[in-house]
Amino acid sequence: MSQVLKREVVYAVTGLVTVLMFVEYFFFAETWSLAETIRTWAVIVYNISLGLGAIQLLRQHTLNLQRKRTNYGYSAVVLAFFAIMFLTGMMGYLATGQQTDNGIYNWLFVNVYTPLGATLYPITGFYIFSAAYRAFRARNIDAALMLIAGCFVILSNAPVGEAIWPGFATIGEWFKFTGQIPGMRTFAMVGALGMIAYGFRALLGKEKGFYAGGGDE
Amino acid sequence: MSFTERLANMDRRVFYWILFVALMVPFLSPIGFPLSIAPNTQDLYDGVTGDSVAPGDIWIINFGYGVSAWSECAPGVTVVTKALFREDARIIFMGPHYDVELTMNKLLEDAGADFAGKVYGEDYVFLGYITGGESAITQLAGDMRSVYPQDHHGTDLDDIPMMADTNEWQDISGVLSSDTGDWGSYFLRQWQVPYDVPLAQIGISMLGSTGIPYWLAGNYFGMSVGSRGGAELEKLIGELGEATTAMDSISVSHLMIVIAVIMANIGVITDRGRES
Repeated sequence: MSQVLKREVVYAVTGLVTVLMFVEYFFFAETWSLAETIRTWAVIVYNISLGLGAIQLLRQHTLNLQRKRTNYGYSAVVLAFFAIMFLTGMMGYLATGQQTDNGIYNWLFVNVYTPLGATLYPITGFYIFSAAYRAFRARNIDAALMLIAGCFVILSNAPVGEAIWPGFATIGEWFKFTGQIPGMRTFAMVGALGMIAYGFRALLGKEKGFYAGGGDE
Repeated sequence: MSFTERLANMDRRVFYWILFVALMVPFLSPIGFPLSIAPNTQDLYDGVTGDSVAPGDIWIINFGYGVSAWSECAPGVTVVTKALFREDARIIFMGPHYDVELTMNKLLEDAGADFAGKVYGEDYVFLGYITGGESAITQLAGDMRSVYPQDHHGTDLDDIPMMADTNEWQDISGVLSSDTGDWGSYFLRQWQVPYDVPLAQIGISMLGSTGIPYWLAGNYFGMSVGSRGGAELEKLIGELGEATTAMDSISVSHLMIVIAVIMANIGVITDRGRES
């Protein structure tokens, strides 16, 4: 029975939903309420998965802490912040209907999370600068072409490029608006065809990657 | 050890310090390089101003970015918000990122003068966080209330004047998706292609190469790419802001990267000459 639930029922539900969505998209895009209802379910299931994710996160980090696995100190930080944010958010929500109406919650978000978040992305610039020196080397003609094109695009993105020589902008824009377009369109088309093929394989039960953790047939 | 070998083996912390010091220069003494407007940015600006927008039109602005991408996306979003408000358009703000409330608060601050003359619920509404990925975006096109029964503050959509007759794609004049990833393409597949809803993207620099082909194909009516796109929009609306300030730093960092590449390859060429 469990195998039936794990496999056949999952195939049947996936197949049925796929057919319903196909028919709705191509024939009844604006009139079919059944498809809308199913999509509402999808949104609800997605929301439930967020809750499951939170539970799994707590479970995993609690285990790390209990068994004193490598870097279990970080797990303690995660659990502590989870508890603080959850409790202060709930206190704000229960008091006024909005989780952000709590001083501690707001303070942590504005003074801890925001600066950390804002720092995370720009800090990659330092790594790129170091990597540019160490890794971007023209060891063959292909790498040389890529580097030259890359330098033109970089200098066309930064106003300093245009200030040094207006040609940097012209050539860089050619790469952006003309040179790369055929490649990107090819990627998009191939990706779309791949998705269609994957969808059909899933529909026929040949793609089992997402069915109960199974692999390809 | 030769000079080039010593350069090649230099400690990476030296590079970090060089860049750090170089980035200090424009902060201490702003340079202000001239900035040209890219055609994709111009199209975006034209699409949210003038005859493209009628008073009372309802637009969606999607915050698909978090705090880490504020520097790239927020300036562009601020400008298009100002531009739409000045055309007397109404705006629905929403977002699939858990930072959505922080981002909304930042926008309220950055475009404070424009929000001051507007009434919540009549001129703009903040629906808040959305989950559900592409399914939710599809559903939003057909029945907004099934995704957002209430706004961010817990008010039923039926009780919000602006939303009383707004529930599906036909009620929306355009969508501006600002993101770091896939949300622009979700709107593209589920709103622009099937219903021809005007759509534009305000993305991080990395999205330039994936988004520009859609702009050239006419799927996006315009596109702002990274901080530079934001600075171009600030120039177009005539109010210089965060992105314009950042342009000097971007100039210095980009120039430093090109210099690093050139130096590294001088070493490669020198070594190759010695070997031959």
